[in-house]
Amino acid sequence: MLELCSPLNSKLQAGRFGAQGETGIALGGRPVRDLWQIAGWGDFEAAAIEVLSDLGLCGLGSYSLASRAKGRTAWRIAPDKILIENAGNLSDYMSANLATLDLSHARTVILLSGTQARDVLSQLIAIDVTETAFPEGRFLQTGIHHVGVLIQCMGQNAFEIYAPVTWAETVWEVICENAKPFGVEIVAD
Amino acid sequence: MIRIKCPICGLRNETEFTYGADATVKRPEMGEQEQQPWVDYVFNRDNPRGWHKEYWHHVQGCRQWVVLERNTLTHEIGECKLAREVEQ
Repeated sequence: MLELCSPLNSKLQAGRFGAQGETGIALGGRPVRDLWQIAGWGDFEAAAIEVLSDLGLCGLGSYSLASRAKGRTAWRIAPDKILIENAGNLSDYMSANLATLDLSHARTVILLSGTQARDVLSQLIAIDVTETAFPEGRFLQTGIHHVGVLIQCMGQNAFEIYAPVTWAETVWEVICENAKPFGVEIVAD
Repeated sequence: MIRIKCPICGLRNETEFTYGADATVKRPEMGEQEQQPWVDYVFNRDNPRGWHKEYWHHVQGCRQWVVLERNTLTHEIGECKLAREVEQ
């Protein structure tokens, strides 16, 4: 039996790094849970709404605000593409109008939090991430060190960064290097 | 710095995008028998001074193709629409 392990296993070693004193940043990780992409052509919207309502989610959602219900999260990442976490198995919804794709093993989540989390983000991406412009519940798709990521704001100073597993170590290292001047605590499970 | 207002993601730095192609080029009708329209379509491009329409790809964002108005003289950015919504 294959044992699945996080691409960040070698990085998730608890400890303190960087500047001394109070730590402004906490870094951690978690695996994604049943992350599915639904995409389509033609009558995508009707087909997608059927899937979403079966999962307890309302409407197609917006391009910047995540939809949440029953422990599930949906992100409308393009006009005809939606990502859903905690979706269970969506393969039965495959049809002429809808393609379903299991991305659970293709993404991992980096947890970035702490009083200086927004300062670190603003060093990494050229987007306004102040609390007014990027409040809780909002998400954005961008690149960190030229790696495409989705960043979900989870609270005042907490973010989840969905990165491709093949580039997760690179993204982690870039975040960690930028966070060191603020003092970093790595939180392992 | 060029900033582009993606219809999906909002205002973003140009570094998130890659240039695709001239968006003013029209493909000849498939039944076109003359060689010159096909040569023009494949190889020949104008080099306009001023406003121009271009395909750009939001590769570090929503991964959508957009048609962007850009002033080649000043780098001023005009309207930006999803390519799928622009009549060919």
